[in-house]
Amino acid sequence: MILEIDNLVKHFPVGGSFPFGGSKGEVKAVDGVSFGIGAGETFALVGESGCGKTTIAKLILLLEQPTSGRIIFDGTDLTSLNRKQVKEYRRNAQAVFQDPYSSLNPRMKVRDILAEPIRAHQTMGRKDLERRLDEVLEIVGLPERAKRNYPHEFSGGQRQRIAVARALTLNPKFIVLDEPISALDVSIRAQILNLLEDIQKELGLTYLIIAHDLALVEHVSTTVGVMYLGNLVEIGPTAQVFDDPQHPYTQALLAAVPRPDPKHGLSEQLATGEIASALNPPSGCKFHPRCPHVLDVCSQDYPELRRIGESRAAGCHLLEERSA
Amino acid sequence: MNADPQAKAGQPVLKVDDLRTHIFLKRGTVQAVDGVSFHVNAGETLGLVGESGSGKSMTSLSILRLTPKPGARTVSGRIEIDGINVLDLDEETMVRDIRGKLVSMISQDPMTSLNPVFSIGDQVGAAFRYHDLVQGRSAIREAVVNVLRRVRIPSPERRLDDFPHQYSGGMRQRVVSAMAIACSPKLMIADEPTSNLDVTIQVQIIRLLREIQKETGVGLIFITHDMGVAANICDRVAVMYAGRIVEIGDVETIFANPSHPYTQGLLDSIPHLGRRRERLYSIPGNPPDMQNPPSGCRFAARCPHVMDKCRSEYPPETTVAPGHMAACWLVGKSG
Repeated sequence: MILEIDNLVKHFPVGGSFPFGGSKGEVKAVDGVSFGIGAGETFALVGESGCGKTTIAKLILLLEQPTSGRIIFDGTDLTSLNRKQVKEYRRNAQAVFQDPYSSLNPRMKVRDILAEPIRAHQTMGRKDLERRLDEVLEIVGLPERAKRNYPHEFSGGQRQRIAVARALTLNPKFIVLDEPISALDVSIRAQILNLLEDIQKELGLTYLIIAHDLALVEHVSTTVGVMYLGNLVEIGPTAQVFDDPQHPYTQALLAAVPRPDPKHGLSEQLATGEIASALNPPSGCKFHPRCPHVLDVCSQDYPELRRIGESRAAGCHLLEERSA
Repeated sequence: MNADPQAKAGQPVLKVDDLRTHIFLKRGTVQAVDGVSFHVNAGETLGLVGESGSGKSMTSLSILRLTPKPGARTVSGRIEIDGINVLDLDEETMVRDIRGKLVSMISQDPMTSLNPVFSIGDQVGAAFRYHDLVQGRSAIREAVVNVLRRVRIPSPERRLDDFPHQYSGGMRQRVVSAMAIACSPKLMIADEPTSNLDVTIQVQIIRLLREIQKETGVGLIFITHDMGVAANICDRVAVMYAGRIVEIGDVETIFANPSHPYTQGLLDSIPHLGRRRERLYSIPGNPPDMQNPPSGCRFAARCPHVMDKCRSEYPPETTVAPGHMAACWLVGKSG
């Protein structure tokens, strides 16, 4: 395991009105999540808006401090690092964000955008630096002369290539991809996806991909974690989870995906209603108000993740019923 | 709802002929929509699919005569809604008789199309008040409750006085749909109505739109870049690329037997659920610069089957089969 997350919790306090202070409550963005990512794997976190997948990415990148729990990268606990160690960690863990229009500084030339991580982490001679920049540009399929241009001179797909190149400059082991293609045009998406796959194979990278597009997740990931309102509800090898989803939420999610095939018929609506507020989540299983198979116990007890076979787990009372 | 929807099904409610809408900028002219022709029948859904900049939104804004000012202008063509050429009408008539009454629009983001300081009842009621369809406060209130019930908002009489922020994203999109059907229009234009919604909510809205259509027989233009959504809701699909329709046909035909290389590439480049493949096809290159579109076929630079002719002459719209048209020199050539 290159990355292990152990009972991670992140609660955001929601402030009361200003002069009187006091907190009205907490948004339980991440509410006790554990999983591990093996080296060379592509782990996908899926779920709908507000499920906490982006918060987990931020916690892993140390952009937010966890309320409790541990994040272990390569054997060291990230929550207890000093500043110097954090810097060393950042060399190994990089990120590519959703929107290449806002993640690249418009006032910097591509050369400076790409050189910034190197300058922050090490001293490198001019020639070596240029050589390294040419290398990463070649990996992402951009010409050397791109260094002299500003981000606005590139198309969306090319900008995302620049963002990928920036993530690669320090030779990281691990890259967080937060919705890496959803801001791009449909005809460009496959280019970036294929590029990311090639880079992973070539450099032996580990990816954590955050996405809401399930067809994409099925295509790229080896392991998938399905989140709902701050909890992991199902986890396992992607092929198994997608072929035979165990949690009713995973089933509803997969059934709702519109298939690009008119013969397949209309997507099914298995889940009723809408996602509850993370400020005041339902008791017991958080999915129970929307679940088509709800039992009495679901509104009272939170269903812990239960192992299914070798490598899968799901948190649902139905599974206990079945095995009992 | 009042007339029998079946009686009018099959009659075109919208005919667009050789529409050209250009955007005039200081540094040149963008040919955003450049010779687009199609029709929409009563009771059917036409999907306009394509990527950003392909002209699908500009086409729908041209129909409503709401192209951004100054700059964008419809320079030629004909747009006939229910037999009326809207390009001949003045702004006052558009406001009074066409927009909201004959044609309505559902936009992408329900939060920005609803006014945060007016109650839901006020905003939905505005459609009735404005077009003088219902008179009197209590009658309007009743009409609003009815239309909210039609978009399946639970206990509408109690939620009437709530404000938009008290509604969830899916419920807001239902309210916007209620405003769109309030005056029983002949044509509805939905511009990416589900793109901001989660999939489990998206399926609810798609089902709702299909039900509304069945009940009212309204013609629907559904703009999307998601081929999955298009396959779910459309009867016919028009694929747009760089300001033109490159292929149009029945939804089954477009997905099973696409004739234009762009449509083929688009369908091959999206991951399909349940169909794990080693590698996706990727269309090389980028869409053309619309200020300086290539003289021939606009897809030529990215096309795997490009011929010399493609670079010099724009291919005519060729019939592949009845109701199926593609603008490509290859069509008809290989059989």
